[in-house]
Amino acid sequence: MAQLTSCLAASLVVAVVSASAAEDRRERVLKDRQEVEAAGQWIYNDLPKGFAEAARTRKPMLVVFRCIP
Amino acid sequence: MDCRAFDEQLVRRDPKVADLMDRFVCVRLVQANAMDLTLFRFDYDLTFAAFFLNADRTIYGRYGSRSDRKDATKDMSMEGFRAALESALDLHREYPSNKALLAGKQGKPPRFKVPEEFPSLAGKYKPTLDYEGKVVQSCMHCHQLHEAERRFFRDDRKPIPDEVLYPWPMPNTVGLKFDPREKATVAEVVSGSAAGLAGFKAGDVIQTMQGQTILSIADVQWVLHNAGQPAAVKAQALRGGLKLDLTLNLGAGWRRQSDIGWRATTWDLRRMAAGGLVLDELTAEERTSAKLSDTSLALRVKHVGQYGEHAAAKRAGFKEDDILVAVAGDSSRMTENELLARLVQTRMPGVKIAVTVLRGSDRLALELPMQ
Repeated sequence: MAQLTSCLAASLVVAVVSASAAEDRRERVLKDRQEVEAAGQWIYNDLPKGFAEAARTRKPMLVVFRCIP
Repeated sequence: MDCRAFDEQLVRRDPKVADLMDRFVCVRLVQANAMDLTLFRFDYDLTFAAFFLNADRTIYGRYGSRSDRKDATKDMSMEGFRAALESALDLHREYPSNKALLAGKQGKPPRFKVPEEFPSLAGKYKPTLDYEGKVVQSCMHCHQLHEAERRFFRDDRKPIPDEVLYPWPMPNTVGLKFDPREKATVAEVVSGSAAGLAGFKAGDVIQTMQGQTILSIADVQWVLHNAGQPAAVKAQALRGGLKLDLTLNLGAGWRRQSDIGWRATTWDLRRMAAGGLVLDELTAEERTSAKLSDTSLALRVKHVGQYGEHAAAKRAGFKEDDILVAVAGDSSRMTENELLARLVQTRMPGVKIAVTVLRGSDRLALELPMQ
């Protein structure tokens, strides 16, 4: 019984820590979109729009891949 | 500096590069979901990578390199990024007369056109992020692509080939070290290495490799990534105003010098070949006190995975601080990387291999399950 209780407690701790980490990451992901779009200098997560804009303006493209931690 | 700081400098248009960035259409992509793999091939263990492109999908160059677990931007700098931007603008100005110099940057057609076609990722992600719901869970990470590439072979019970196990070799694999503040300027050449034997010298400015214009360290990596084993990689360099033709002769197994320890995806290799153990080589002093020679295997268990398939070694009886001294009958010295690579290339999932460990003064025989 004691083993089961400690196992459940450990699982609960892991679940709480994971949920908290996911929540932090959610905030970072949402904030990234909000801030970058507000700055107005980047096309956000829309590659076809980027290609269309580059074709229209005849500018080269800078495409950045960013994995938000 | 971590990737976040470098990335933030770009997002905010650091004054060191702002004037050049204004001359580009800047696109920020934060997901691997539905990524066009016929176009975007880069080191998927990176958390920051950049492409310079024409609107017709021609690739001018790549930027973004990493070789260190703690210092994510050791091989990057705003100065180096500026040099790459300048070169991309030069290529764009001359385009399409320079198309032949850029053809090799595209590469051969990939096995799968989008990540979702990999068997281990199929059906798990939608093409767009769920910003209104579980956005984090809806996002496929780039490193999952590299894991999926490995699993494609492993789950089919085939050895993971060297080019998948050791992707995007850094130039130091062939004995070249570049100055990250420059475009592609050699800072150091290791004596006796492939680069040393080819005649490279510090100060050389690499202009092309395999006929491709080089804008960055990442472009050098792309050429190496696509080189065979063995291979003769041709380069043109500028030295004191003179153009030189050099050839890097790479022998069989040259990729295996590549350090994969910093990669996020090494975690999954540990699941496959070490049952979730994290291993570290003993120092010279520790070897002496454990009475192990310089040529013998001596890998200490630094961490034992606790959950799911990462706990396979724990369930098999391995404990923290155990010292592995023989694996599958082999007691010759090797690093964790070498051991993992050897096992995923020779032992398929489902088998168990005999491991001898030292635990205090005891010598124990355990079995490590391959997954």
